[in-house]
Amino acid sequence: MKTYHKYKWLWLVLLIAGLPLSVHAMETDDCLSCHSDRDEVGDELFIDGDQFSDTTHSEMGCVTCHESITDEHPDDGEAVSKSACVDCHDEVGEQYGHSAHADNATCTDCHNPHQARGIESMAGPDMDRQCQKCHEEAGVLESHSGWLPQANLHLAKIPCITCHTSAAGYEVLLNISQKTDKKLSSGRLSSYEDLKKYSGDKSIESLIDLNGDDHISLAELRTFNHNPAYKQLHLAGTLVPDSVSHNITTLDNRYDCTYCHAAGPGRMQTSVLSLPQEDGSYRRVTVDEGAILDTLYGTPNFYMTGSTRNATMNIIGLIIICGGFIMPVGHGTLRFLTRKNRQHKGE
Amino acid sequence: MAEEKKVYLQPIPVRIWHWLNAFGIVTLMVSGAQIRFPEYISVLGSYKAAIYLHNTAGFVVAISFSLWFFYYTFVTRSMANLYVPKVEDLKSGILRQAKFYFLTYFLGWDNPHHPTPDNKFNPMQKSVYLAIMFVMMPLVSLSGILLTNVEPLRGLIIMIGGLKILAGLHFLLACGLVAFLPTHIYLATLGHTPTEHIKTMWTGWEDAEEEPAKETLEEGHMAA
Repeated sequence: MKTYHKYKWLWLVLLIAGLPLSVHAMETDDCLSCHSDRDEVGDELFIDGDQFSDTTHSEMGCVTCHESITDEHPDDGEAVSKSACVDCHDEVGEQYGHSAHADNATCTDCHNPHQARGIESMAGPDMDRQCQKCHEEAGVLESHSGWLPQANLHLAKIPCITCHTSAAGYEVLLNISQKTDKKLSSGRLSSYEDLKKYSGDKSIESLIDLNGDDHISLAELRTFNHNPAYKQLHLAGTLVPDSVSHNITTLDNRYDCTYCHAAGPGRMQTSVLSLPQEDGSYRRVTVDEGAILDTLYGTPNFYMTGSTRNATMNIIGLIIICGGFIMPVGHGTLRFLTRKNRQHKGE
Repeated sequence: MAEEKKVYLQPIPVRIWHWLNAFGIVTLMVSGAQIRFPEYISVLGSYKAAIYLHNTAGFVVAISFSLWFFYYTFVTRSMANLYVPKVEDLKSGILRQAKFYFLTYFLGWDNPHHPTPDNKFNPMQKSVYLAIMFVMMPLVSLSGILLTNVEPLRGLIIMIGGLKILAGLHFLLACGLVAFLPTHIYLATLGHTPTEHIKTMWTGWEDAEEEPAKETLEEGHMAA
């Protein structure tokens, strides 16, 4: 324990001593003045400034990971050091190290540290991009079609990580999609610019969040779905893990359809709306619990057989079926009571 | 005694269609129930088995519906005559038939409708079958076809109001058809004997009382 305290002080001393130096060290803007120009640094060293500025990594500054860099860079001719991802993401590294994926792909094969965003900042359809770098769409469809009913629907709607990583819970992620010129096309994800055309000077959140409380109620969802001005827009939903893990694997229980389809309405209550932002990222807004179960106008296009069944519909269905027994029971009773009247017919 | 005469009421193609349909619809009912309520119903084993069975049975019923339509429209050309109620049926026929089912049947009177191959259905049957065969069956089949092809047909599904409206429509139509089943089976027992009509759907032949039978019956009443 004593040793530990000694080191603690040592770090503090070093930090204070190093403080004046860091003032002169390269700032992110200095780096980007060259590295955001593809012509100057080439494709390999190019960094998209807009995308980088939205990452958590940019808040830490370039020198946090490239600590060997000096003010003379690149004239000093020194190779620039790179931190290993696991220096910070040690838990993720350990989790990933146990998966078969670790033998085939390093962190940077899937994630670009200059573009990496948290899952909260991503739209549902974007979550598969990392996987698609290696796993081609045709091959994935073929391997799933062998056992998964409507494989094309599952693959189009659900990100790989929903079934191939374990999570404690799942939530429904809603995105705004819009119709394309092709009449029967399923549409495409609406971009910030697309939605800005509808919201004008106001924020795009205001398209659905009418009272500006940063939460979407069932009534607001209904109003959005009913609004004739938004005829070209619709809410598309997907199921995503509520927390991301890196234990990428094929989970046996996902072969059992009832893992998702018999979860019952209880597990399908939480949903969030993910809206595109000016910088290309996405922002999540919470939605009323249970809104996706609403019969028709909560989320008209999100329906999971067996899981999102609506209680009111069930009652109406039951009443209809009971109606079918009125004749046998009612007529049958009177028939039995009046059977003597038909005895001459041999009944 | 009434003089009995046999009428060939249900030709072979109709009987095959009927029983194929019956088997298919019962399969669809059971598998459909498991698909909607998997926590409570698991008679068909896995959920996937229920889905595949439901899709296959739905396909079979849709094909058999098409064959039925083709047979009556183009082979016997009796579709309109058999299934579309005539003006007379609507003006007085339905009322007369309803009066029989809900009143005079209990008094022991005869069915006012005597089925013949050209006029198989009584006015009430015509109206009900018209709704079932020309509205409910096509709609439940079409909604089912859309639901088994959500991804390729999503644009169309969005156009008609979304997946939830489609699934809700499919469910409620299915409930309507399920409700028809007990009524259908019960009414099939209202022949001269409880199994008469059911046997007809198996053999094709139905016992028909000839017109003189009425007179005989009236004489019987007078004598009483």
